[in-house]
Order: sequence, then C-alpha cells, then structure tokens
Amino acid sequence: MLAIEVKGLYFYYVKGEYVLEDINFEIEEGESVVIMGSNGAGKTTLIKHFNGLLKPIKGHVKVLGKDTKECTVAELSKLVGIVFQNPGHQLFAETVEKEVRFALENFGFSENEIRRRVSEILKYFALEKYKNLSPFNLSEGEKKRLAIASVLVYEPDIVVLDEPTIGQDAIQRKKIAEVLRGLIRDGKTVIAVTHDVEFAVELFQRAIILSRGRLIADGDVKDVLTDQEILKAANLLPSQITECAWLLRDLGFPNCIVSIQELEEHIIKALRG
Amino acid sequence: MSHFRTTVLRGFEFKKKDTIIHRLDPRAKAVYVFVMSAITLLFTTPIPIIMTFLSSLIVVVFAKVVKEWSSTMKGIIILSLFIFVVNYLVAPTDKLNYAVSMTMRLIALTSIFSIFFLTTSPEDFSLALLKLGVPYEYTLIFTMALRFIPTLAKDLQMIIDAQRSRGLELEKGNIIQRIKRFLPILVPLVIYEIKRSFMVAEALEARAFGAVESRTYFYEIRMKLIDWALSTSLIISLVLILYLYFMNILPEWLFWKVPG
Amino acid sequence: MKERLISIENVTFYYTGSRTPALKDVSLSVYRGDFLLVTGPSGCGKSTLCRLLNGLIPHFFSGELRGKVQVLDYDVKSTPTHVLARHVGMVFQNPENQLFLSSVEKEIVFGLENLGLPKKEIKRRLEEVIDLLELNDIRDKPPYELSGGQQQKVAIAAVVAMGPEIMVLDEPTAHLDPLSSKEVLSLVFKLNKELGVTVILVEHRLDMTINRVSKILVMNKGEIILIGEPRDVLNNKHLEELGVNTPKVVKVYNELKEKGIVLSQIPLTPEELASQVKLRRARLIHDVSNRS
Repeated sequence: MLAIEVKGLYFYYVKGEYVLEDINFEIEEGESVVIMGSNGAGKTTLIKHFNGLLKPIKGHVKVLGKDTKECTVAELSKLVGIVFQNPGHQLFAETVEKEVRFALENFGFSENEIRRRVSEILKYFALEKYKNLSPFNLSEGEKKRLAIASVLVYEPDIVVLDEPTIGQDAIQRKKIAEVLRGLIRDGKTVIAVTHDVEFAVELFQRAIILSRGRLIADGDVKDVLTDQEILKAANLLPSQITECAWLLRDLGFPNCIVSIQELEEHIIKALRG
Repeated sequence: MSHFRTTVLRGFEFKKKDTIIHRLDPRAKAVYVFVMSAITLLFTTPIPIIMTFLSSLIVVVFAKVVKEWSSTMKGIIILSLFIFVVNYLVAPTDKLNYAVSMTMRLIALTSIFSIFFLTTSPEDFSLALLKLGVPYEYTLIFTMALRFIPTLAKDLQMIIDAQRSRGLELEKGNIIQRIKRFLPILVPLVIYEIKRSFMVAEALEARAFGAVESRTYFYEIRMKLIDWALSTSLIISLVLILYLYFMNILPEWLFWKVPG
Repeated sequence: MKERLISIENVTFYYTGSRTPALKDVSLSVYRGDFLLVTGPSGCGKSTLCRLLNGLIPHFFSGELRGKVQVLDYDVKSTPTHVLARHVGMVFQNPENQLFLSSVEKEIVFGLENLGLPKKEIKRRLEEVIDLLELNDIRDKPPYELSGGQQQKVAIAAVVAMGPEIMVLDEPTAHLDPLSSKEVLSLVFKLNKELGVTVILVEHRLDMTINRVSKILVMNKGEIILIGEPRDVLNNKHLEELGVNTPKVVKVYNELKEKGIVLSQIPLTPEELASQVKLRRARLIHDVSNRS
C-alpha cells in the first residue's frame, strides 16, 4: 500500500493565489523522502495536507489508502505524526511526562499503555531525569527532543519532521540524525522538510523539490541535489562535496557525488594514480 | 480553523494605499469616527443608523478597501445575531425595533471603526495621539501592538496546527470540555508571546530607546486644508443634527420603529 | 599597532538564580577591523558574551558580574545600554522581533530618532544606508511582506544607520534558508571590509564564514576553549566532540590525512580543496614524467 498518494493537488489560502499547483507524487511505505525548496515554496503547506490540517482545493491526498477529505485531523494524525519546527508552539504541560502523555490521552490509549510508552520514550530520548520537571526548564535541544518524543510516543506509521535541523548545533543535529536513522531502520515512512542540503544528502534516498508551489524534481538525492538548474530554481545551495566534485570535473570526477566517502575515493584515486 | 488571518482581523489591518481617504490626517478621520458614532448612538430607530452605515459604504469604496472591509463584516455576522437575540429578549418595549436598531448599531460602528484602522497607519495614528499630548511610550506600545497582530495570528495558527496534530479535537464536547481544550492553545501562546516581548525589549534597547530626553520625530502629520474642511463640516453637521433632534424638528420617518 | 576596542578581563557571570556560571573566567581582546567568529554548542555562552558588549548584561539581564568589561572608553558595568548602543550595534536571531514599525524606512529611522539626531542628519543617513544595502525597492514595505533574508537586512540597516564602530550579530542566519544566509553574511563581510566595522559574529554555519574571518573563537560551557586563526582552530582534533559544525571539506582533509595524503593546508572552501587536489595531481604527473 502506498503511504502517501498526492494527485493533482492544488491549494490556496487566498482565493486565486495558488500556493501549491498540480502536485503529483507517491511515497511507498518505508521510504525516506526529503522535501526541499526555499522558504515560501510551499513545503509546510504541503505537509499540512498529510494529516488533514489542510484539505485540497483541487485533487486529492490519500494516506494509507484513506482520502484526507473524508477523515478528521485526529484520525489522520494517528497515522501521520508531524513534528513542527518550533517546540515553543506546542509545549504546554506542567511536566515533561504530561507533555508526552498528551497525544496518547487524545488518541484514547489505555492507562497501562500510556505509562509503558511514556517511560520507554523518555528513556530513548534521555529525558527520564526531567520527567517531573516543567518542559520550559529544558534547554533548547532538550525541548526539541521532547517535541519529537511527544509525537513518536504513539508510533505513527508515517513520521514527518518540519525543518528538524534549524538552529541546531552539531551535537543536536547528530542526535536528530540518529533518531531518524532509527525510524528508517524500523521501517517507518520518514519525511523531512528542510533546506539543509548537507543534512538531506546524509540521510535520505529520495528528494522532492518544490519551487514556488510547483514540483520541479522528484528523484534520487544523488541526481536531484547535484543538478545545478534544479538547485538554482529551488534557491538551494549544493553540498560542499558536490561543489568540489564539480570543480574537479577536468580530473574526471563524476557530477553526482554527494557523500564524503565517494569524494575521498576519487581524490585518493587521482592522487595515487 | 484553517486560516485565521483571512477573517475578522483583516478588516483592522492597515494596508498602504494611495487614496484621498488614506491621505487624510488621522485627526480628521477621528472626527469622522466620532461624529458618525455619535449619530449612531443618538438614535434608537433603525433608519438613521442604516443611513450612517450606507454612507460609510461610500467611504469604503473611495478608500478601495472593499475586500478587507468585507472580511470583517462577514466575521461579525455571528456576533450580530447574538446581539439581536439578546437585545430582543431584554428590550422593555418595541422588542423587534430595539433588537434591529442595536444590531444595526453594531454593524455601523464596526464599519466606521474598520474604515479608520484600514486607512490609517499605526504610526500616523500614534503621531496624532502624540500631538494630542499622549506620552511617546504609550503611542509606541499601541503601534507595536498593532504591528504584531498578524504575527500573533500566525503563532496562534501554528499552535493550533501543532496541537491538532497530536490529536486535540477542539470541536468536540460540551462548553466546559471545549474551554478546557483551549489550555494547550493558550499556554504556549502566552508563554511564546511573553518570551517574544523580552526579545523585542532587548532589540529596543539595542536601538538606544530612551537615550535622550527629547527624541526627534522624523515624520510629521499636518492638518491640510481638506482636513480642516472635513472636520469642520462634520462637526457642524453633528451640532446641527443635535440641535434639530433636541428641538424636535427632525422629520417623522427618521423615527419609524420596526413593528413588533 | 591596532587599536583595542574591546577588553574583557576575567569575566564570570551568573544569571540571577542560576548556580552555574554562564561565563567562566573569560578574557578576550578585540581590535579595530577584526572579524571575530564565535561558535560552540548551544548553551556555551555565546549569546551571553554578545550581550556583555552592549550592556544588556548586566543592565537588562540581572545577575552577578565579576571581572572587567571595557568597550571603547566605557566601563560596561557602569554605562547604560543606550549609551553603548551608539557604538555597539546588535542584530539578533529572529528578524520578526527586531522590526517594530510598519515600513523599512521607518525602521531605519527609529534608532536615529532615539538618538535625538537632527532631521537633516537622519535623512542623510537614511539615504546612505538604503543605498549601501540596496534597499530602495523595499523601502516602503512593511516587515511582514518581506522574506526572512530581507528582514535581517533591514535589521542590519537599522543598526548600521546608527553608525556603530562595532557590530555584534547573534546567529543572524538561524531562521534563514541557505541562499538568504549567504546574502546576509556577504553584507556583513562588506560592512567589515568597506566600512571598517569591527564585527563579532556568532554562527553555526562555519562553511559560509570561515574563509572570510580573521579569528575564530570556540566556546563551551561558558569558557573559551579555542581562539585563533581559522586554520589553526580547525586543526584541533576535538572540534567534533565540542559540537562545532566542521565544514565537510575540512572533514575530507582530516580523513585524507589519516590515510596518508596530507594536503598543503586545511581547505576552507570547496574551491581551496579542489585547487589543492589539482595542484597535487599536477605535481604527481610532473614527477612521474620527470622520472620517465
């Protein structure tokens, strides 16, 4: 079954001013996809269709076979967990524990289930010691982990993260990357919205690129994020690795290198003749 | 629930346009609001109030703010119905007349005030307040509050989205349950905006706010001939209407009551 | 001998109610024309350091401040922020919270009005700044109609107009996409190079900055761990653990080094890495052809 099916999607907030035009793509279960484009390209608007926060004006969006127009946000959120950019827009509870319980209580899990899951997820995210503290006392990095934990706790099949690396330092980025790798290993469908090309090439197989509301590319990260025209149209900057490979074109370096290892291999070949 | 901004708040957001109305001094527009509101409050029968409302429509057209104005007017339909019902119930006599008149009053006043805010930039408004003697700190508070309304609306929307994405259902339940459900919306909003206010305060300090006793005011508003002419004619009209009203010289049909 | 503009001596600072120091025995000198990049993991004290420079600490953020902080001729402990603000401009992370008024022009004028400058002077500076930062097309636009990058440019313009000798920018690109970030950073470099403004920039995006700064400062847990020229600092093996966003070309250099290929110097950009590879290869071919 397809995790997400988007067909002929058109959307506007203000009549006539389309923010998404003719979007078509399919995501299989277990795929890891990154949705990219500059600010204002429509990325966040697109993911809001995945759990029904927004409904298509034209076309349809199907999540695990269900048409989003026929489901409530609560029903769809159970299947699609979206972690938004800013933890400040969601943290509200008196304690970290209550914050994590929130989704489970809303979805009607049993008290035993709730306790089990909360305990597990707090351990997984190293937030156990903060169990009875106010979420507002945590550091920014911890808040972000808490926000992610509070969504993963109910184990949605599809996980969507909106700009997971914005404002994060290297250590925090690493932790988030680990979490994503874990999810991908567990067979979850993982979708991330980002404009961080370095992050995208490290973790994802497939990239969908939006530019001014239109889908301009959909394919392997290696092909899409090394295409100069696509990058330009989407206001994205290539990874340093790719840039370097382009500059070494004369030495026979291929155009679509994104990983450090690949670049090193070619450099070693070139310098050891 | 999906998009707050395109509703009520739109009618109160200043949008820069080049129309006669926009170019009027805010004090002249304030006189307009005062005079029109006074007339609306003076009468307790629908016809004069409706006339005031219709005249405001002309201003809306001249100011080219029909779209934004309509947004607000649409937004107060529910409130109007509420006012209608409440007034119908509380009216001592002439219930229907009272209800209709009060409802029309709300609609007229909303229209008049909306015109003011749509055509007056917050800065011009605060410059006017300044000229009237209000201390600068207060006018700045006002200007900034208005400037941040759309920002606040955006934050509110983001919070609602995030919480709904965790299964919060705002539409369900009885009144008490629904109010409880707003806590996960209010708490992040209040905390977020308080944090924001600290950051804004820092930025104000970094721009030397309060550095000197006598601050320079680069922009000025001056009453032009048209402003004086408009203000004067409006005030004279009001005085005239008041005179005619209290002298009982006004025509009968203005006091027609809705039967029932 | 370059003029010393900022002198921080043995500064320790505790925010009110906190038992751990936000800054621990920090000493730093900044000279005129310097471009100092400050980096380190979240919570390391970078923001606290910034706020020391215009007096937000200790005047806006209360706490216990030990040590000496001197900016130009002012002792920060006893000088109010509005005096320091004339000489130390500060740009913050979130553009939204730095723009208070309903047009770009008004925003730029705001700080100058606060300083009580005469109207003619305000007008002159307004036009100068709009010209310098190429803001003419958006001068009448309100902040919410601008992109994040444009907003930050306006925030910078509003601060530059006040004519400070020093500019402090606390993660100005945190909320921006890469292209806008590059534009904003280019602007900051321009201010340093062409106007001689001394800059202290807190940034995570090392890949966009290290080739243009004169010094890098790495902080952790309130202390200065490393300070020096970019290549010297990047040579340090512990950067990864410290949470510094080591640019990928530096990682490549390090891994090649481990495999026995030592390039002549640490590359700060993909261009530098590519040209070093080309050079090395050319030398290789030259050697091989010489032998044969």
